[in-house]
Amino acid sequence: MSDAEQSELTPEEQHQAANHRGKMPLLAKIFGVLAVGATTAVLIGSIYAVFDQENKPLNGLNPQGPKAQTIQNLVLPVFVVAGIVMVIVCAAVLFISWKFRRRTDEDPHSMGVQTEGNMPLELTWTAIPALILFAIAIGTIITSLELEPKVGPETLEVRVIGQQWWWSYEYDLDQDGNFDDLVTANELVVPTGRDVNLRITSNDVIHSYWIPELNGKKDAVPGQINDWALRADEVGTYLGTCTEFCGLSHANMRMLVRSVSPDDFDAWVEGQQREAVEPAEGSLAAEGKKVFEAQLCSSCHLIRGVNEAKVEDPEKGVDAQLVSGNAPDLTHFASRGTFAGAIYNSRYPNPDGNDQPYGATCTAEDTDACGEPLDNATPGNPDNPFYAPNVENWLRDPVAMKPMAPLQTENPYADGRVRGMPNLGLSEDQIDQLVAYLETLR
Amino acid sequence: MAVADAPLALPSGAPSHDGKVLGVFTRAQRTTGWRSWITGVDHKKVGIMYGAAAIFFLLIGGFEALLIRMQLWAPRQQLLSADVYNQVYTMHGTTMVFLVVMPIGAAFANYLLPLQIGARDVAFPRLNAFSFWCFLFGGIFLNTSWLLGGGADGGWFMYAPNNGVLYSPSHGIDFWVLGLIITGIASMVSSVNLIVTVLNMRAPGMSMMKMPIFTWMTLVTQFLLLFALPVITVALFLLMFSRIFGAAFFNIDDGANPLLWQHLFWIFGHPEVYLMILPSFGLISEILPVFSRKPIFGYSFIVFSGVAIAFMGFGVWAHHMFVSGLGPTSVLVFSLTTMFIAVPTGVKILNWTATMWGGRLRFDTPLLFSIGLITMFTIGGLSGVSHSIAPADTQQTDTYYIVAHFHYVLFGGAFFGFMGGFYYYWPKVFGYMLSEKMGKWNFWVLFLGFNLTFGPMHIIGLQGMSRRYYTYDPNFGFDIWNKIATIGAFTIALSVILFIVNIALSYKRSKSLPPVGADPWDARTLEWITPNPTPEWNFDPIPTVTRVDDFWYQKYEETADGGLVKVRDAKDIVQDSDGVGVHLPSPSYWPIVLAFGLPIVAYGLIFSWWLCLLGGAIIVTAMFGWAFEPPDDPEAAHGHGHDEAGHDDHGSAADVDALEQEVAPVG
Amino acid sequence: MADTATFEPVHETGRDAAAPHAHIEHDTNTGISNTKLAMWLFLGSECLLFGALLTTYLLYKNPLPGQGPTREQLFDIPFTSASSFVLLMSSLTMVLAVAAIERSDHHRMRIWLGATAVLGSLFIAGQIYEFTTFYAEGLGYTTSRFGSAFYTLTGFHGVHVTAGIIMLVSLLLWSLRGNLPEHRSETVEVVGLYWHFVDVVWIVLFAVVYLIP
Ligand code: HEA
Ligand code: HEA
Ligand code: HEC
Ligand code: CUA
Ligand SMILES: [Cu+2]
Repeated sequence: MSDAEQSELTPEEQHQAANHRGKMPLLAKIFGVLAVGATTAVLIGSIYAVFDQENKPLNGLNPQGPKAQTIQNLVLPVFVVAGIVMVIVCAAVLFISWKFRRRTDEDPHSMGVQTEGNMPLELTWTAIPALILFAIAIGTIITSLELEPKVGPETLEVRVIGQQWWWSYEYDLDQDGNFDDLVTANELVVPTGRDVNLRITSNDVIHSYWIPELNGKKDAVPGQINDWALRADEVGTYLGTCTEFCGLSHANMRMLVRSVSPDDFDAWVEGQQREAVEPAEGSLAAEGKKVFEAQLCSSCHLIRGVNEAKVEDPEKGVDAQLVSGNAPDLTHFASRGTFAGAIYNSRYPNPDGNDQPYGATCTAEDTDACGEPLDNATPGNPDNPFYAPNVENWLRDPVAMKPMAPLQTENPYADGRVRGMPNLGLSEDQIDQLVAYLETLR
Repeated sequence: MAVADAPLALPSGAPSHDGKVLGVFTRAQRTTGWRSWITGVDHKKVGIMYGAAAIFFLLIGGFEALLIRMQLWAPRQQLLSADVYNQVYTMHGTTMVFLVVMPIGAAFANYLLPLQIGARDVAFPRLNAFSFWCFLFGGIFLNTSWLLGGGADGGWFMYAPNNGVLYSPSHGIDFWVLGLIITGIASMVSSVNLIVTVLNMRAPGMSMMKMPIFTWMTLVTQFLLLFALPVITVALFLLMFSRIFGAAFFNIDDGANPLLWQHLFWIFGHPEVYLMILPSFGLISEILPVFSRKPIFGYSFIVFSGVAIAFMGFGVWAHHMFVSGLGPTSVLVFSLTTMFIAVPTGVKILNWTATMWGGRLRFDTPLLFSIGLITMFTIGGLSGVSHSIAPADTQQTDTYYIVAHFHYVLFGGAFFGFMGGFYYYWPKVFGYMLSEKMGKWNFWVLFLGFNLTFGPMHIIGLQGMSRRYYTYDPNFGFDIWNKIATIGAFTIALSVILFIVNIALSYKRSKSLPPVGADPWDARTLEWITPNPTPEWNFDPIPTVTRVDDFWYQKYEETADGGLVKVRDAKDIVQDSDGVGVHLPSPSYWPIVLAFGLPIVAYGLIFSWWLCLLGGAIIVTAMFGWAFEPPDDPEAAHGHGHDEAGHDDHGSAADVDALEQEVAPVG
Repeated sequence: MADTATFEPVHETGRDAAAPHAHIEHDTNTGISNTKLAMWLFLGSECLLFGALLTTYLLYKNPLPGQGPTREQLFDIPFTSASSFVLLMSSLTMVLAVAAIERSDHHRMRIWLGATAVLGSLFIAGQIYEFTTFYAEGLGYTTSRFGSAFYTLTGFHGVHVTAGIIMLVSLLLWSLRGNLPEHRSETVEVVGLYWHFVDVVWIVLFAVVYLIP
């Protein structure tokens, strides 16, 4: 187009001409098709991927208990309906875009039929979604009622307390309403086939308790108790994570549920209710016990049979200089497979991932077959050999292992209290002794 | 009272007194340079500044998003520490919501509202400028926290009690609270201003049901702001008093209920998400008819569904709290009310689709973005419906599935609409067109990047990846999708860069072209009756309106058989007056001075009471100066040829333009 | 162009508004002037502000046991009733002030404006007295959740009253300097709206905070 020609045009047309020089670039067209294609692929891929449960320990669409199953039964049909609506809308828009596009050879000023509206049509497309939603609403009501935790005589009640950045559990085994029968941390052990009612609360900020394969999540709100039902029918290990933002180590606040046979459960309870074992006289572990008592450890951590006397507030355990008032109970530390918010293994995991039932073991002689604890966050199995390096590192510098807020000297409100475990500057000897002692705490 | 009979004031036509106006420094003059931006009160200047500032903040918020994505590129990545990550994502969410999407909405509202209703300016031009400066200073204040000890680290909804000093001892949250109070003042003032403008200043003949849909949606948005903002203001004050004076509102040991914060936040927060989307809904309701060459389908349904969304939007807030332990009844009630918001929203989607049906679709960039909005928003809306099912939400909440939802509605909805709006209104605002070629690239790259980024989040969300995690483990199975999302984020960045390059290159190119004509798109609504770029006085004279698409029906007339024939050329309709004699509100220093005082006070609350005094002094001086300054500078008065456009700017009760004109009534 | 030029611009009539005796005939679509409409909208928004504060108070109206004095121990209903009555009366004087300016009775208007400001100040003085008494009796701002909620709620209201007093005094000064002619009477009316609103809010607060057990 020559300059002379161009000046014949109106300014609008000149601008449009400048714009459309060469029409829509072929490359952009191809790219556009690619973009739509990639989008569709991602969306279709997602359908496959969501149901790909291989090595997805947190998958919420892989129910292993009745509650999660109930949710699944509601949500799958909803996904299907939503998928249909999405396909209809997108297909309609694409079809219309194609069918009613202005052809290049067409008069640019042509226009279609000038419709301004259509009452019956409007009413139809108001009514249809309303009806669909009505059906979904009924399903929602039924499911919600079904999911309400109900406490029967057989229900096992456990108080679950979130704190920065780990979970503690207090069992009420004799059903007297007091959660004073058994205390443990990070790992919840439940008998299979029995309804469990979690009474969830928090000692500091809001956390959220979520074991995706067993049930949805429930917030742990300080000053409030939220009931939440769980039941696992199969023996197994179910991973969970804290899902309400709770500060620095929110991402490192995990937990797990081990469901064991009722007999194993009773044995476990018996073991947990015992006081800590006394280490053999003169052993390394006995040194460790002394360190535990001499060092600050005992001001935060409780080992029943060792520093019981320090308990001032039975509600909160020991008189810890902690904002949450509480640190993990170490009485049976070595009976657990994980520590520090279940992010590190204190025992070897099972080689095949975390789905191995409680009880399957590898041997201390052949730890190669046990899996690699540090680089593989598959939870440790309490029946596997003790894995000391993680615990040693923890005692060497806990803050390096997990972001915490151990120093709050600047904070006027903290009043000297810390959040998380501080680095206590232990010597290597002390660490060895402590680890030896901790290992005995089965 | 004999005095009552004496004239109290001179008729305004009389020449003003010479000499200085009492209590005013030399009056800011209307100039062209940068000073006209600093002191200008013209709604168009204000709108442009809103847009420019928002794009600046988009770069900041986007940069933060890129940091997030780089950190999540691989499991156990060490790029950002947990602490920094928490600050980055908090500031990302806060920036995008309060400093990008809301202000872009305000930019379009400011620029277009008076034009669409046939007014010369907003009701209170100086207050309007004040709103902008408040927003800008608030936003800058918020971001200076990066330099002064770190950003806020509690998430954009900043749940209690984690927002207390005990849990977040740095000053980040103080900056967050005070910054949001300041930007809140901006939104509050401008919502009053814009509502008054729409309700009171429409051109003759423009009844409410003849207003363009963008105007309607903005009106609804401003009402949402009007009623939602005070609630978060209270929440923010409670938090500020708690953090700075040690009040007990969120202190659990004193029996505080942490859910109070959640209720207050979400009573605001949910209307907030609709007030982010409605302006975009308005924009594409303008774009679709133009590029389909058909009137909007079901005008009144689109309008009323917008109103319905706003009403319902106030009754659903607790769907963000399904797992907080509200009790089964409230959970069910909020679950059901939430679900049914899909009905009015669906009405809109389907009416837009019907608008395109049977049209002659001209695939220019604005239309592409509008179609992008319809489809992508639908996907986001449908995942929203799946959250609204309370039992299902217990599996979804606080996972990346939610993150996917809100980016689909916010980015795929609100942001796509804004991009369409930018391309569509660029010639109106700047007098040149953005390159279509680059525009198409812009769209497709954005579309691809957007889906690559946020599509996979549906998957990892359902597979259990929690949001607000700075790290994840290799054996959770999240790696591959996180990598795709990160690649997608950089693709988005590329397209944002394309957009900016397009602006620059098209500007350069436009110099060799004549100024764009009045009607580059064959548009329909009143704003196109003014030349491009819009002259300072908007309309001269004020038009009279007979139909919704008034401009269109001046160009085309209906024939007997229902078709349309072109009867007039756009250039014969478009106004070409020189604006002589139009009296416009005069510029003023005071809005920016007053707004400047606020962050000073805020710094004072954080660091030193002395600064509070200084800021307070600035504020009082500015209020005083403002009150004594006539909205129209008598010395700069044009002849009163036409009418007074600057309807009195009663910034305060003290707005006495006749200061020296009036004779004291001696009583 | 031609077809639009014949129409009178809509805001034309505003031009001669300053003519003697003419109240501003704001030719707006709603018939309500911009300023007044803005005030109404602002007050609508204020309703939610106080609503949220009141909710907070209702949630926290009882301190935890052992955390300082309770409502029953502190509240002096007769005293607060008296100061509430004072504030109520100020609404009456405000009405009279507006009526006076509409009659062009500047003298009376000043008297009534002054009276309103004085009554408002009396109320504030009462509130200050009340706060200091409560403080002396052991209720600090951070003593308990009740203390924080009570002072914040009534304090917010007090700040609103104070702002109103400043507006009233400014009006009074302007009027004395002759800058408040009839055609500006709407300014008085708008300040009056605000003042009545603040009064009504107090009635609600008084009932909810002090009277309902
Ligand atoms: C622009 C913003 C925007 C918009 C428009 C929406 C729209 C919707 N949102 Fe969304 N939402 C957010 C922004 C937005 N949201 C944000 C930012 C968050 C997270 C906050 C945070 O936690 O940080 C959030 C979170 C959020 C939650 C909480 C999730 C959680 O944290 O647990 C829920 C729960 O119900 C929800 C629901 C909905 C619903 C039902 C809609 C509906 O309005 C959608 C309606 C639209 C459609 C359904 C599509 C079109 C309809 C049809 C084609 C008709 C046919 C349809 C059917 C028959 C179903 N949203
Ligand atoms: C309108 C709102 C909006 C927008 C547009 C975006 C845009 C983006 N968001 Fe955002 N997002 C939110 C609102 C928004 N987000 C909110 C409310 C949250 C919740 C926060 C919370 O939990 O508290 C969130 C959270 C959030 C998360 C979750 C974080 C977490 O939970 O841990 C992620 C993760 O990927 C993410 C990613 C992105 C990406 C990649 C983009 C991209 O689309 C951004 C693209 C833009 C750019 C890339 C700009 C261009 C930049 C450049 C050209 C770089 C050069 C610039 C400089 C050097 C200055 N966002
Ligand atoms: C100021 C308090 C404090 C002191 C002192 C302290 N700890 Fe801890 N400790 C904690 C907290 C809090 C945790 C939980 C950290 C987390 O997982 O987030 C913890 C975790 C642990 C764990 C992991 C427990 C589990 O099951 O998760 C071990 C083991 C441990 N501490 C040992 C010690 C030893 C040994 C000492 C003394 C040398 C000690 N601690 C001193 C607060 C303390
Ligand atoms: Cu605990 Cu997140
Ligand atoms: Cu919401």
